[in-house]
Amino acid sequence: MKGRAVLKSLSVPAIAILLSLAAFAAIVLLTGKNPAVAFIGILEGSGWLPRSGYPLGSGQLTDVFRTLDALTPMMFASLAVAVAFRGGLFNIGVSGQMLFAGFVSTVTIGYSGLPSSAAFPLVIFVGASSGALAGGLIGLLKCRFNVNEVVSSIMLNFIFQYVISFFINTSYIDPVSRHSAAVGKDVCLTLTDVFIGGYIFRIPWALAIALACAVLTLVFFTKSVRGFEMAAVGKNTRAARYAGMSVERNILVTMFLSGAFAGLAGVTYYLGYYDSIMPGTLSPMGFDAIATASLGNMHPIGIIAAGVLVTSLGQGSTYMSNIAGVRPEIASLVIGLILLFSACSYYIKYRLEGGAALRVGKKARGGKMAMNTAAAENEALEDGRSGKEAGKT
Amino acid sequence: MSLVVIDGLSFALPLFIIAVGGIYSERSGVTNLALEGLLGFGAFTGGLFVVLTSGIFPQGSQTPICLSFLFAAIGGGAYSLIHATLCVKFRANQVMSGIAVNILAVALTGFFTYQVNAGVFGSPSDKFMIGVSPRVTAPGISDIPVLGAFFTNVYPFEIMILAIAAFCWYVLYRTRYGIRLRACGDNPQAVDAAGISVAKARFGAVAISGALSGVGGMCFAYSITANFSPAIYLGAGYLAIAALIFGNWKMIPALGACLIFGFARSAAYQVAKSLEISSNVSDLAMSLPYVLTLLLLAFFSKGNRAPRALGEIYDKGKR
Repeated sequence: MKGRAVLKSLSVPAIAILLSLAAFAAIVLLTGKNPAVAFIGILEGSGWLPRSGYPLGSGQLTDVFRTLDALTPMMFASLAVAVAFRGGLFNIGVSGQMLFAGFVSTVTIGYSGLPSSAAFPLVIFVGASSGALAGGLIGLLKCRFNVNEVVSSIMLNFIFQYVISFFINTSYIDPVSRHSAAVGKDVCLTLTDVFIGGYIFRIPWALAIALACAVLTLVFFTKSVRGFEMAAVGKNTRAARYAGMSVERNILVTMFLSGAFAGLAGVTYYLGYYDSIMPGTLSPMGFDAIATASLGNMHPIGIIAAGVLVTSLGQGSTYMSNIAGVRPEIASLVIGLILLFSACSYYIKYRLEGGAALRVGKKARGGKMAMNTAAAENEALEDGRSGKEAGKT
Repeated sequence: MSLVVIDGLSFALPLFIIAVGGIYSERSGVTNLALEGLLGFGAFTGGLFVVLTSGIFPQGSQTPICLSFLFAAIGGGAYSLIHATLCVKFRANQVMSGIAVNILAVALTGFFTYQVNAGVFGSPSDKFMIGVSPRVTAPGISDIPVLGAFFTNVYPFEIMILAIAAFCWYVLYRTRYGIRLRACGDNPQAVDAAGISVAKARFGAVAISGALSGVGGMCFAYSITANFSPAIYLGAGYLAIAALIFGNWKMIPALGACLIFGFARSAAYQVAKSLEISSNVSDLAMSLPYVLTLLLLAFFSKGNRAPRALGEIYDKGKR
């Protein structure tokens, strides 16, 4: 029974991926290029297939580790989205929180010249806590001042972007690269230029923390009282309040936790994947993370798989563009499509198992009611997990 | 001082028409975070029309400008049907759908702009150069001190926006269609019971928001950026959402919010310029409208009341 439930929950992301890849193939065909070549190009560029030739000192494993390097912040960012979503909030300010945490850690620890043994834990700590503060601010605005979290996080995105750009441009700019001055290698969370067996590697050791966080999040939501309360507030605020839970406190904790993950994404992005900050821009990762998290069904383990897929698309796009002659933007097109199709999960689910329910519904109350019947059955089947829409009042 | 008014208006009014679109969509019960993507896609179709027909119209003719707004509205409206289909028919999470539409718009327009430039003009670039719209100054009135600035160097589209907005106000608050649309956002069950299709009303509302956002995007393409390029995605769609929420989902207060934005933005620019401080400080000045919005939202959101059924999927069977 459990196996079937897992299979069922996998069917929606699988269909979303298939549809997106079909659209990808169609667009590549329209531009007169070969979709198979483009697809293989993505796999080769992201290290999952061997390329025909490698530059000196790098091999397929180099590419794999480069993809894992990008996966690390993506994992944290997607966890940030998923935690907020489970708590009934939408954190689209992940990019801004990443930038804030990245900047604070760069300025405080990145330029301090501390040895790795001291710098690593400090960077992680400062990143997580500054991200949590930024996220907590959004939560505070929501429960104290009734400010919609979507709007306040958008405003904060802009504010962080401009204000941090100002500070970088005035105090921390590297005149050559037009980025902030690079942080030292001892501080960078990704170990660069590691030579093993003649090949050069980047080792994103923080990925281990990301994976541990994913598991811990799962345990937190399934086994702890606080996690249960947060999910209850997310599903039905009124019912949670009636049951005696503090909605305000849970909203605060949710945004705090979500912000902390966003902060970890920020430090692994700006002090790991990169070693500097480009002033005046937000990373698109905070938005791609929404696609990743929803493809992963907002489930911490699903996010790992979804993260590998989305990151590989991004990493492979440059190489794909070189060998297949397709614009690299197509990768973000596919990411957008994945989000689009996984947002339709409700409809896909209904289509998949709608057959029987549809007939019952037609007999009982006519065609248009069928969807509601199927939906009701879905909810009953899935221990209320898909009952978000119904519980939102 | 007059520059503050002139620049402020030319930013605030396009923002306002996008916010009006957002109000239509949200009053009908569909959360519309897709405004950013819709305005970009509208500007893309308008810009595409201008560059494709650039040889047909005589030099200096105003026809392509007028027609480009029409095409921007059509393009934005058509593209918004994705959001409408997802939210109304496929029962998608509306916030997620909006973000998907935004991501797709950036990718699609970037991709196709490049393809068209490479395929038709043989010059691969990510821009459609369409130039700046001419400005008009009302003779006589513009000489009045301070107030005259409102009539000086006005883009013709600003007048058009006010006309469209007035019409939209009339439709939303004074017609049967408008009251049904608003009812869909507050009590869709009642609308359904009255024998009107909630789905159709919401589809229409989202399409209107797409068309209006397209017009707004085209205004930006003709003024601030002077081309269609990825620079069109400067966050105006999100600002419009903030404006309409700040305006409590009503049109006149939303106009006020847009004007605050526009003037704060242009004033910050002018102050930074007049003090002749380094361009870095302009970054700090640019953050001013957003800080202001956040503060205003924090102070005035207590009494905010969103449409009751906003963001909810209409479920006939629900009590």
